[in-house]
Amino acid sequence: MNKEQLFKIAYDSILECNEDKALQVIRDAQANNLNLIELLSMGFSAGIRELGDLFGRGEIFLPELIYSTEVMKIATAAIEANIGVSDIPKKGKMVIGTVAGDVHDIGKGIVCSLVKSNGIEVIDLGREVPALTFVEKAEEYAADFIGSSALLTTTMTEQKKIEDILRKEGLRNKYKTLVGGAPVTKRWAEKIGADAYCEDASDTVHMILGWVAKK
Amino acid sequence: MNSMERIVLTLQHKEADRVPVYPLLNSVSRKATGITYEEWSKDAKKCAESIIKATEEIGADCICTLVDLSVEAADWGQEIVYHDDSAANPAMNNRCIKNADEYSTIEIINPRETPRMSEHIELARLLYEAKGQEMPIIGFVFGPLGILSMMRGQEEMFMDLIKCPDKMQIALRNITETLKEFCAALIESGCHAIMFDTLYASRTIMSAKMWDANEGIYIQELCEFVREKGAMVMLHNCGAGIYFKEQIERMHPVAISFQHIPFDCTDMDDVKAKYGDQVTLIGHIEPGFVFTATEEELREMCRKQLDAYKKGGGYILATGCEYPASMDFEFAKVIVDEAKNYGKYA
Repeated sequence: MNKEQLFKIAYDSILECNEDKALQVIRDAQANNLNLIELLSMGFSAGIRELGDLFGRGEIFLPELIYSTEVMKIATAAIEANIGVSDIPKKGKMVIGTVAGDVHDIGKGIVCSLVKSNGIEVIDLGREVPALTFVEKAEEYAADFIGSSALLTTTMTEQKKIEDILRKEGLRNKYKTLVGGAPVTKRWAEKIGADAYCEDASDTVHMILGWVAKK
Repeated sequence: MNSMERIVLTLQHKEADRVPVYPLLNSVSRKATGITYEEWSKDAKKCAESIIKATEEIGADCICTLVDLSVEAADWGQEIVYHDDSAANPAMNNRCIKNADEYSTIEIINPRETPRMSEHIELARLLYEAKGQEMPIIGFVFGPLGILSMMRGQEEMFMDLIKCPDKMQIALRNITETLKEFCAALIESGCHAIMFDTLYASRTIMSAKMWDANEGIYIQELCEFVREKGAMVMLHNCGAGIYFKEQIERMHPVAISFQHIPFDCTDMDDVKAKYGDQVTLIGHIEPGFVFTATEEELREMCRKQLDAYKKGGGYILATGCEYPASMDFEFAKVIVDEAKNYGKYA
């Protein structure tokens, strides 16, 4: 099998949510001495990017997206186990979490998967993350982007706290901040001074890649 | 004209004295009595007292029994976490359905005897006794798929919907049978209508086909059951891209409470034109907008929606989902004020 054929199989394995196919093509790529980073980028990641676009256009839905991102995680882990995480080039770094008081993280999980698949290193802080932790972790990991998700009107105010802390600490221009979640709006992002409102995972990817391109 | 008369005319797609109004006053009502969210969620008497006080103070035209989305799941044994200032939620790391094989452990239960559903039935009774002659009391019931996701976890359930949907059907069947009895008890307690929350029937979550195969068939049975018991069917769905057409086909609701423009509509005028004569529209000011708007902006939004929907009846001015639990009552009063003044019929 040539390189393009292997890329296509990897790509298809994501679109078809086919874990077995994904793992088999990694073995086939190794047998053919194909660079696994290339397979990840040109095959699997291309698949997940397409999936994100299909989701953005409403042509596939959340269950399919979640299932495929699971396959992507498995494929990525298998490749990382073979080559070492540090070998994979990154375009930037993002810390992300669901804000304090909020336990919902399904959307945030999808954002993590899609952003990661697009070459951004993601530090997932999990659920119920205090505002100060977002900032501390961004500093600790030397992140470029801070993403926060709030699924309740009662927790949206935590996103404002992140902005307030960044301003107070003189760090506001060091990071690009992104806010999302069901009750969150563009208007809210503007009101609190966040850099972007992201409607969904696909939107987040485009926003970040846009910033990366301008760097 | 009292609220009951106003809403009855509205549901008949006739113009009453003004557009009825209901800013989904649920958990925020706890502020009327100064109790915590947990007390409000667990104690039917305190909850009823709060809702009645808030409804009277704000001047809403109906009452809905929505407490939180964990009411039903709790009674199948799902561990629930309660908070002082936000809604109860399932313990995310301790779902009662831990793998797909455990769907078969979900049996039919008696909601009249289980803790949270029986409290909910009692809440409906108290609300009906206090206000049921002057305004509609709407029993709120989470749909089968929503309940199942509280017990299994959304992410896991979504994957099961692709991997092994057949395994889920026994649980969905038993939840449906239990909900029939729950609805019957709510109706006996005085509820004039049952409002089903079909959370997943929207394009941003799953395909219409997947929803129909896994909830549509069950919700149809439930709606037919409710009508046989003499109550009306309503539905609430605050998802973006809500499926109106598919849900109307299955449920034949008299009213739909919604937050976003339906999937097959372009704008408010289109919603009115396509669906205004089929269902009463309840909505759809976004709570997120209420949270960030100025009073003037909120009034403007109310007027925009009243302009689009009020003609010929069949419209209740409302928030698209629960009024923000962290706010005070002032903006709810603004919404009511707009219905009372700008929403007047000539």
